[in-house]
Amino acid sequence: MIAAAPGVTVGMELRARLTDLYVAYENTLNDGAFEAWPDHFTEACVYRIIPKENQDAGFPVAVIYCESRGMLADRVVALRETALYAPRTMRLMTSGISLRSIDDDGMYLTASFAVFQTMQDQPSEVFLCGRYQDRVVDDGGALRFAERLCIYDSTIVPLSLVYPL
Amino acid sequence: MDGNTLSAHIGDASSNARVWPGDDTSRVPNWVYTDPDIFARERELLFGGNGWLYTCLEAEIPNPGDFKRSQLGNRDVIAVRGTDGAISVLVNRCAHRSMQVCNAARGTTKEFVCPYHQWTYDLSGNLLGVPFRRGYRGQGGMPADFRTEDHGLQRLAVTQRHGVVFASFGSPNESFETYLGERMLGWFDRVFDGRELVVLGHMRQRIPSNWKLMFENIKDPYHASLLHVFLVTFGLFRLDQQSAVEMDDTGRHAVLVSRRGEQETNDATAQMRAFKANFALRDKRLLDPVREFPGDATVVMQTLWPNLIVQQQSNTLAMRQIVPLDARSFDLAWTFFGYADDTPEMRQRRLRQANLMGPAGLVSLDDSEAMLLSQAGIETDEDEACVVEMGGRAVVNEQHMVTETAIRGFYQHYRSVMGL
Repeated sequence: MIAAAPGVTVGMELRARLTDLYVAYENTLNDGAFEAWPDHFTEACVYRIIPKENQDAGFPVAVIYCESRGMLADRVVALRETALYAPRTMRLMTSGISLRSIDDDGMYLTASFAVFQTMQDQPSEVFLCGRYQDRVVDDGGALRFAERLCIYDSTIVPLSLVYPL
Repeated sequence: MDGNTLSAHIGDASSNARVWPGDDTSRVPNWVYTDPDIFARERELLFGGNGWLYTCLEAEIPNPGDFKRSQLGNRDVIAVRGTDGAISVLVNRCAHRSMQVCNAARGTTKEFVCPYHQWTYDLSGNLLGVPFRRGYRGQGGMPADFRTEDHGLQRLAVTQRHGVVFASFGSPNESFETYLGERMLGWFDRVFDGRELVVLGHMRQRIPSNWKLMFENIKDPYHASLLHVFLVTFGLFRLDQQSAVEMDDTGRHAVLVSRRGEQETNDATAQMRAFKANFALRDKRLLDPVREFPGDATVVMQTLWPNLIVQQQSNTLAMRQIVPLDARSFDLAWTFFGYADDTPEMRQRRLRQANLMGPAGLVSLDDSEAMLLSQAGIETDEDEACVVEMGGRAVVNEQHMVTETAIRGFYQHYRSVMGL
């Protein structure tokens, strides 16, 4: 369940819908249903994964930078069709989902994430952890991410980042 | 106790017994990727010797007092711009008890103060002060013959060219320009043409393989048309395109040059299982390169001995710094950059095309994963050797991609430096 920051008024129904969005997103990735992943975003979305050091220093470059739902879909095709990578399982956990503010452009939320990675015949390990900064909008009756910024705490990515966060 | 540990204890360094297979470099023995004694010698001879090691971009430390940590070999250094604008590269180790004097990744400072006993150094590494140097009320203190001049931070030789900073632990007897040689300097100056650079950001990944596999990867155009489905499919780098593999006279530096082709089917694509004729992007902005350098090359990947890859793939520019950690792991530190005079559209294009590169790169992901698998294969038998004879057994510049000549060139120089 999401929490509202002080001064932010949000009804139970909207809280439940936001919670559904976050859990559905998590399930999509944890189930490996990557073809459904772009559906959680608006057509004109911005999705970025960046190390905290770039965010803190104001450097714009991102490890993944998508400017539309189409680019997210292209990422999924690359993941399925063109990329070579060793087998692995990822598990995303999201916590501390907080509704920070609401304005005409949408709802602004933050959350913590942890991604565990299990390479074949290896013990599970923490792959990345960090913070989501999101803008969520009502997109024709469905809540979707208009912006999702994934800021990971470490400077180092262990080996490579195969699956989206 | 296994044989190797036993040998180490009785002083029989196993690497002394290492014999390179054959008299050329068409075979590379697997033990160069596994042996800790070989790694220790690399640290001393390749990274600790007279070579010029890539350290940082000047644009990362533009103003007096700006500093940035960097790792040369596996040694931590501080690149810092002094009050006079000159850049020093200092080993991050207090002259007193060897503590790191700087633990921020980057920042701005007037001096470096060791947190342990507050020994204080200026921006050139000179020791300024030692608390209680004369003792307290006549007791203690440093000996009378202690001279601060003898206890500065270790300073490296430094050279700069067109905004790029290199340093050396040794006493280089050649300028950076001579070190690169005329041909390699020409390619270097193509990207670093004197224009002011702008840092776009960093990425870093830790790869569980020997560092040399990274260099070999960028010296090997043969794999690019076979492994990289994305590159091949969109014609960004194809074996059937007009291309070149060039080296300096020693073989230590190299460049792969390619021109962009069409997403077309021909007699070469029949051998590229990677080619997907029907694959199209939903958002074509991802691949919207524009020509920005003189000449018709669209990809120039330069490998500079011993720790730098200069990447120019379409409009994405990056320094890839190789930071060896031990025989079986290294960090790959990427610094993406553009030019101060880039238009907003070009800046955006560089950020977009950065999707091809880095730990999640649509192209470079394949390489980091391939290195994991290479190392795993190598570990099965370190007495086996890799075959490196595509394009013959010689070290010569070529005007095509069906060759491993630059890997042979690298090991030709490696053998001479390592005495192997």
